[in-house]
Parts: sequence; structure tokens; C-alpha cells
Amino acid sequence: MSRVFVTGVGVVAPTAIGRSEFHAALCAGRSGVAEVTHFDTAGMDRTHACEVKGFRSRDHLTAAEDRRSGRCSAMAIAAARMAVEDAGMESSLLCTDRCSVILGTTMGEANLLGELEKVWIHEGEEAVAPTRLPRYGTTLLPIHVARALGARGMVLTLPAACAAGNYAIGFASDQIREGRADVVITGGSEVIERLQYAGFLRLGAMAPDHCRPFDANRRGLIIGEGAGILVLESEAHLVRRGGRPLAEVGGYGLACDAHHITRPHPEGEGSERAMLGAIASSGLTASEVDFINAHGTGTQTNDPIESRVLARLFGEGAVPVSSIKSMIGHCMGAASAIEAVSCVLTLDHDLMPPTIHHEHTDPACPVDVVANRPRSQRVNVVLNNSLAFGGYDAVVTFARVGTLPNVEERGH
Amino acid sequence: MPLCVTGAGVVSTLGVGRKNFHDALCDLPQTERRLESLTEVSIDGALSTTLLSDFDPSEYLGKKGLRNIDRLTGFLIVAGRDALRDAGLKGDDGTFRVYEAHRVGICSATAYGSLDAITELNRVAELEDPRYINPARFPNTVINAAAGYVSIWEGLKAPNTTIVDGNCGGLDAILYAATHLNAGRGDAFLVGGGEVCSEPLQLAMRKLARFAPSYAGGAHGGGSAEDPGRASQCLRLGEGAVFLAVERTSDAYDRGAHVLARLAGFGTAFEPPSSEAQLVGVSREAIERAARGAISDAGLRPCDIDVVCGASCSARAVDTEEIKAWASVFGEQTAVVAPKRLYGETFGAAGAFGMLHALSWFQGAPIQPLLSGHLPSRVEHVLIATVGFYGNVSAAVLARTS
Repeated sequence: MSRVFVTGVGVVAPTAIGRSEFHAALCAGRSGVAEVTHFDTAGMDRTHACEVKGFRSRDHLTAAEDRRSGRCSAMAIAAARMAVEDAGMESSLLCTDRCSVILGTTMGEANLLGELEKVWIHEGEEAVAPTRLPRYGTTLLPIHVARALGARGMVLTLPAACAAGNYAIGFASDQIREGRADVVITGGSEVIERLQYAGFLRLGAMAPDHCRPFDANRRGLIIGEGAGILVLESEAHLVRRGGRPLAEVGGYGLACDAHHITRPHPEGEGSERAMLGAIASSGLTASEVDFINAHGTGTQTNDPIESRVLARLFGEGAVPVSSIKSMIGHCMGAASAIEAVSCVLTLDHDLMPPTIHHEHTDPACPVDVVANRPRSQRVNVVLNNSLAFGGYDAVVTFARVGTLPNVEERGH
Repeated sequence: MPLCVTGAGVVSTLGVGRKNFHDALCDLPQTERRLESLTEVSIDGALSTTLLSDFDPSEYLGKKGLRNIDRLTGFLIVAGRDALRDAGLKGDDGTFRVYEAHRVGICSATAYGSLDAITELNRVAELEDPRYINPARFPNTVINAAAGYVSIWEGLKAPNTTIVDGNCGGLDAILYAATHLNAGRGDAFLVGGGEVCSEPLQLAMRKLARFAPSYAGGAHGGGSAEDPGRASQCLRLGEGAVFLAVERTSDAYDRGAHVLARLAGFGTAFEPPSSEAQLVGVSREAIERAARGAISDAGLRPCDIDVVCGASCSARAVDTEEIKAWASVFGEQTAVVAPKRLYGETFGAAGAFGMLHALSWFQGAPIQPLLSGHLPSRVEHVLIATVGFYGNVSAAVLARTS
């Protein structure tokens, strides 16, 4: 069984595009919240979101790719190209059936579907353009990326809602450990679409202005969009090409609450199992985790439950916790993928990103929040937590290279 | 780590429940006739559907708790419940008999699972007001919600995953479950998927049947449940759900389970269209690579495969490449069967339906409709193939157990 390394990252986020710009935005505590421009929010009681501004697909895609793809795939392709460049990997190493693409999303090209349905509903079936139909499909996300990079191995979408990025990264690491792939391009991508926006609004989950995770005055989440992509590589492949690892992917844990379709288990039962699974399969104990990238949505329901689980496993306030959703919003299927990029940067720079807009920690959230400013501290192991509709719990650990025990010594 | 199938559940036009499905296959009119060759039938760009129009989940689940679930969720819950009981993992009273709740999970595939719900809510948003969207039905727009509901209904707390890979997801789910079982993330998984022949999907395929008839329209042969040998001149859309109960072979034998088949191998491949302007495309090379990969993974040779459960769906572009690929991998003798002709194209569920067919063939169901080759006297190994519209292909080998 091989070790799995992250050797490159790429990101298209509401606060920045590109690795170094994204890191600078995290350190500066920059907020991506702004007025929604993708669609009309008139009469919807909320007007803000974390859209990716200034992303021009033609800056990253060929003309043919641009014609074939929707915005969700375009962001994924852009981030994938950045990640491959970051990894310093020659394209010839990707053009093989030993390179796979495994991505997460919630609704994929939701905006393309929305446009098609709008025409259908208002103008009738005859008005629907058949040339646009094949461009919709959650299936297409990894296929577009595989075509862009030349990969010929497995192409797979794991639509695990707001935990999709961690699902994809976890399964991608499995493929390398089991020897089914040498390189996997993985992560997640998501776009903001009117139906999702209205849906979260109707669920009463949307904050009016900012996302304030773990704060006593939190009022909900802010929807975001973007793409986060990681290049995962086997140790042998990395050594063979003389590459440089950014971090090691530890284990991961998955669980299902089997409790409610949108709400987490009240005691975080599944979340706790997923975290324990991730820690054990990394060959670690809870005391060896240095930083937790929380799911931290800023909703009344999520934050206290997540905090209680963290307190049970790690001790009250024992491990620094932050939620970058306070800056980039809740990017749904891309959330834990973009946050995975942030985790890798945390390890690389020994700098924990802040939770902005934080004034008073809610007593119901007994965690040590990295509030408003980044915190400089040696970080060897990071835990990336995520939860999702469907009762999904997914957790991935990332570690400084040389920290984790041999793969054979790790548990399940 | 050897894995096996110990039970199955199905919702299909051929029947609900493994036994009913098997009996329906056995009751079909039998024909020795092969499907017509590609050149004999012209393309008419038409489309037909095989719908489960009289399916009522309350008949199987009772009336409580069904108000806000969509059609796919109903299919999946019924198929999942059936599979758990068929495998003996749960008793008739719903209690776990073998493994604890947190050791039983789900890997469920679909290609267009949430389309119905998205259209329903988009209509509300477009014709009335986005603020009128029913929040209790909003989760159905998220593609993994249907599988999530199965976990809630059945109390399954091991990993729950939805898989999307177009027509290939149903087989990819096998690899996904195998990975979890190998890693010890669970002891049993419901593996399969479901698809609904929704109004927007029918619209899309109707449009594509005229726009791109070689993919969505015409056909070279067909058959139907009424006459499996009869030619069909259109792509038929189907719907339904299948779950197989999959566990480690050693565990299954230790608990005295009835092992239905052994999961022997898996292969996958991707080969994009040769033109950068093309989005859709089917690759013979990818079909061959996935099939050879699965056969090799099973430790077999092509000559060990007795039957190929093909992906042939009456879309000319798909069928043409597939026929060439099978000739290249197996020669002319191996039986190639096109079971989709019986109940239509079920996209993400297609691979799971193929697995279910193989289980029935192991138990003596007639192997039809035959596309090419010769029927074997005994079926030991079946290769199931799924072919996507974008160059993606997956294949799996299922083996008879003694």
C-alpha cells in the first residue's frame, strides 16, 4: 500500500483565483460576500452570496473546451490546470490510464439546467436548443477535466452534497493506495444557481449579511461557489519523477447519520464516527491533531453540534478551530475541496486561517476559534471536517510529510 | 479480498423483488432468433418508454412518511428493503440480523436522479415565486438525497454514497463498495442504483432523437418483453432500481448465507472523442480496455467468459462500437446478450440491472435476447458492460459459486 501525497493545488474561490492569491486572501481575512449578480434576487429577502467574480473561462480554457463546458466544469478545468502546474507535472505523465479524475459536486451544471428549464417552461419544448442538452449532466464534470488533461483512467463524480469534496479526495486516495492509479486529479466544483439560493432561503438557513461560525450572533450561512482541485500522487510516482510533496493525505472517515435528510444528528453521532475513522486510519490519536478546519456553516443547528463533537474528541478548546466559510461562504459541493486546499496551505505555511466576523464565541460552542486574524503555530496534522444533506459525514486528514506512520501501521 | 452477492432487491417493469424478476424472465416468450443486424433496420428517430406507471411505494412501505419523497426515492427504498431481507441481513420485523446498523452502507448510482424534483421546483419558481418552493421537497433536488432517504428508512449508518458516471455508475458502485469493504469501513453494502424516466429526461431524449439520432434515436434491433427477438427501431427509455447485498465472502459463508455469486473483477476506461468539437462519443478502444481490465482483474482470460451482458440500447453509435469491441475481445463465439431490449435504457441503474440478469442466468433463466455468438451449456462467468455517451466505460465480472 502506497503513501498518498498532495503535490499540487489549484483553486477558484470567491476571494481569489490561484494558490498564492488564495493564501493571501485567507491571511488577510478577506470576505467574498457581495451582492448577487448571477440572477435577480428581487423579493427573495436575501441579496448576498459569495460569487466568484472576475473568472473568465477563456483565460483558462480553449475555445472548444469553452463551448463544451458550463461554468461549473470551466472552474474545475481552470483549477485542475493550476494544480497540475503547481505540481510541476509534465502532461505526458497525465496522458495515461493510470491517471484518474474523481470529483465532487452537489448539482454540477445547475445553471445550465436552470436556463434550459426556463426556456421549456416559458416557451415550450420546441424552443429548447438540442445542442445545449448534452452539456448538462453531473457526469460531465470529471470528463471535461480528464479531456483537458489527457487522463484515461477512471472518471467519476461523487455528488455528496456539501461533503462532496472530502468524499472525492478520500476515494481518490483509496485508488492510489490500492494501486489502481498513480495520479488522481480530485476535488470539487460548484456554481450558485437561483433554485439552490431559494431553497436554502426557504429552509431558513441563509444569513442576511455575513456568515459568523461559532459566534453567539450567527444567523446562518452565505452560499458560495468555486472549485478546489488537488493532484494526488503515489509515493513511487512522485519519487520517479522527482516531484515535491506539499502534504500527505492521511486516512479518511465516512459515516451516515440515518437521522434526517437535512439536519445533522443532534448528538453528532455520525460526525464523531467519521472523525474517529479519519484519525484511526491515519495511524494517529486525537491528541496529535493540531488544527481543525471546521464545517462551521454559521447556522444555529450545525455549529453547536459540531462543537460538542470536537469537545468530546479533543477536549474543550484544546485544538484551534476555524471555518473559512466566514470568508468564502458555503461553496456546497466544492466546500470541503477548497477547504482541503486551505488545509494544505496551513501545513505549508504553519498559519491557521481566521474565522472572520467573530465577536463572541457562543457558549454552546466550546471551541478555540481562530478569530479574525490568522494564527501562526507549528501544524503537523490538520483535520478537514464536513457534513451534508442526506446525513453524510466525511472527514479527511492531511499531514506534514514525514509525520504519519507507515501505511501498514495504520488502522481502519 | 473476495466479495460476494448474498441478496438482491429490484423494482422493474418485469417485477418487484428478485424472485418475481427471475420468474418474469423465465416466463418470457423464448426465441432462438438473433436480433437483426445493424444494416437491416433503418433509423426513424423515434423514442419509446417502458414506465412503471402503476408503481405505488405505499403498497410496500405503508402510507406514513412518503409525502415528500420523490419517485426515485420510492424505487430505491423498496429495492433496498427487499435486498436486505433477501440477504438475511434484516428480518421481516426490520431488525438487523447479522451486522450492526453502523456496519451496513449504501453505494447507489444514478445519472439523472434528481431531475424530476428540480423541474418540479423550477416550475414553482418560474410560474409562481421562488419563495413558494416547498422546503420539505427542496432536498430532493440534491442528487444524493434519494440514497440518503434509504439510510434513514432502513437505519443504515455505514457510508452512504451516490455515484454518477452516466450509464456506468451502476458498475462503478461495485468498485466503490469493494474499496470500503477492503478498508473495513463496513461489513455489507447495498450496491446498485436507480433511474426515473422523468418528464425532463423524456423531453431531452425526444429532442436528441431528432438532433442526434445515432445516439438517442434509431436502432439496429430491439425486442421487447412481449417478443424478445423482435426488432425495435427506437431507443426505449426505462426506469427502476436494483440493489445487490454485497459482503466479504468469508463473512457470508461464516454466517451461513446463501451466496448467489462472486464478484470477480472490475475494469474501467475513458477515451474521449477524437474531435475536440465533439462532446458525445463512444469508443471501441475504451470498451475493450474496460472489458480486458475486468477480465484480468478476475484472473481470467477472455475465453473464460461464457456470456457478455452488453450495453446495447438501440442507439446506433453505441451499439456499433460495442459489437466491434466484443468481436475484437472475444471473437465470434461468445454469447453477447442485450437485456436492455426487454425493459429499456436505465442509465445509471443499467449496470445493476445487468448484474441482476447474471444472477438469474446462474439460476437457469433463459439467456436472451441474443445479439451474437452461441449460448453456452452452462454459465460460469458473465462479463457485464456499461457504455457511457461521453467515452466512459465500465465492466465487471460476476462468477457462479459452487
